[in-house]
Amino acid sequence: MTVKRQLSMVLDLNKCIGCHTCTAACKLMWTNRNGREFMYWNNVESQPGKGYPRDYENMGGGFDADGALRLGRQPSQEDYGIPWEYNYEEALMTGTDPWLRPNVKPTWGANWDEDQGLGDYPNSYYFYLPRLCNHCANPACLAACTRNAIYKRQEDGIVLVDQERCRGYRYCVNACPYKKIYFNEEISKSEKCIFCYPRIEKGLPTACAQQCVGRIRWIGYRDDEDGPIHKLVEKYKVALPLHAEWGTQPNVFYVPPLSPSKFGENGEQLDESRIPLSYLESLFGPRTGEVLDTLAEARQAKADGKGSELMDILIGYKHSEMFKLS
Amino acid sequence: MTSHVFKNGLLVNRTRRLAGSLTAAACLLASASVVADHSDRNPNVTEVEPWDTVKVSRIPGNIYLRTQDDPDDLIWDRLPEYRTALLPAPPVHQSVALRFEEGSTRTKHMYFQLARSADRLYIRLRWKDPTENRDTTVDEYRDGVAVQFALNDTDTSYMMGSGHENPVNMWYWRADKEQVDSLAAGGYGSTTTLPVQNVSGASAYFTDPVPADREWQVVMSRPFKSDGKYDVNFDRDTVPMGFAVWQGSENERDGNKRVTHTWILLDASPDSDNGQ
Repeated sequence: MTVKRQLSMVLDLNKCIGCHTCTAACKLMWTNRNGREFMYWNNVESQPGKGYPRDYENMGGGFDADGALRLGRQPSQEDYGIPWEYNYEEALMTGTDPWLRPNVKPTWGANWDEDQGLGDYPNSYYFYLPRLCNHCANPACLAACTRNAIYKRQEDGIVLVDQERCRGYRYCVNACPYKKIYFNEEISKSEKCIFCYPRIEKGLPTACAQQCVGRIRWIGYRDDEDGPIHKLVEKYKVALPLHAEWGTQPNVFYVPPLSPSKFGENGEQLDESRIPLSYLESLFGPRTGEVLDTLAEARQAKADGKGSELMDILIGYKHSEMFKLS
Repeated sequence: MTSHVFKNGLLVNRTRRLAGSLTAAACLLASASVVADHSDRNPNVTEVEPWDTVKVSRIPGNIYLRTQDDPDDLIWDRLPEYRTALLPAPPVHQSVALRFEEGSTRTKHMYFQLARSADRLYIRLRWKDPTENRDTTVDEYRDGVAVQFALNDTDTSYMMGSGHENPVNMWYWRADKEQVDSLAAGGYGSTTTLPVQNVSGASAYFTDPVPADREWQVVMSRPFKSDGKYDVNFDRDTVPMGFAVWQGSENERDGNKRVTHTWILLDASPDSDNGQ
């Protein structure tokens, strides 16, 4: 789908510390009320893991090799996790209940399997994967909507749901392979990440990017050759889409994580990264190894005092250079 | 004779409803009565095919309806009933086509009655549905039923109308809010809620020990006089009319529905009363 300009985001997974400040910023701004309580337009998952909604990677959706929509499995409320509250008043204030406890039995949530990862000590591993709507160039949600209620803005490619047109059919929820569009029971309509467009229109970055403690997020236009997105995605080619094989052409890109070497039986360092390359390739595609090599070289160059434009961008010295919104 | 059989039908219905709370023996009795109540063999139900004309019955001025849209009102036992087959709607979007196979071969029977008083037009619909789906949630879809009227002539597409020139007015009853939405459309994907909401409605779900005999009954009504450009005008020779039904338990919504293929013609003129 052609738009005049496309806003994009790059996230460097080497810098994510899993603090969930992005998630909290997003939730406070958009989803802590009015039927959106179960929604996380932004969430941070530990990978390998089942993610949110639970096992979303195996729910289907997206497009097949011929570009036809694939029918997926509809996530259930349990797959998202039913939001719970605690009896703070009774347990902590009035003392009428001796136990602090949730009002529903929690079975899943946006980061349920945090830090579990895979592997056995000393070769256990995990990394954090923040996820938001990819504001795809070929959005499956848009293709699935029978109402033409989903549209992609010409000026910045942000994908939005026209709340006047939406009639709550939920084809979009099924079609989005990333499961980043949600059904709001209170209003019987679907809702999703709006890339903080009211902030963008004022020249401000999204809340998740602005608040990011690890400074892992860059925002800019794909066609801005002086901007960070163009440099990371096109020039240095170190940022990759998540599950490109699902056919939606995401506009959120990830710098894949390097990891320390694996230990052998006698504690020796092996020439093999702790996070298996094959696993990273299953997420970010066949170029992952090449990207990791580029990153390692740039790191070494910086360490050797030779300087590296790529590393300078990835360090993210100034917000003004990380967010280029004009 | 006719009225006697109608009363008989009423008695059978009431027996079945009671049986839900009685013993197993009573359930057996109820099952027997279900067999006896084969509505599709009921001589008082007139089978209607697309392009048939059906006449509205007149509710005399001296009959007072205690509740405007009561599906269980005695008046409905005294008015002629029609039956028509609803077939899966042809899919017009890939999202509908992807979900089309499941259930595509099954027809559904819609029983309907039409009545008018001096100032109001009523439609009563009933259809079998083994599950009562009254919620619209992340996990559930609601039941629903709709009547569609062409604002103009029969060259209007029965698939939600044909553009601006030949739109349709739809009365959509939704089980979750127990309300009727008055909608307009000019082709699929264009359904729009009208500014004037003047259609009222009410429903009743009748359970039964035999799931296949559980039934929705819905009455919708509107002032006879239309109010607005997209409010169907009944004051003409015939009004093209069609039905649609959605089964929430089968995840039906939007174009995943069963509909009247083409039109049934409604004759709403005051002299159309056939003397029942």
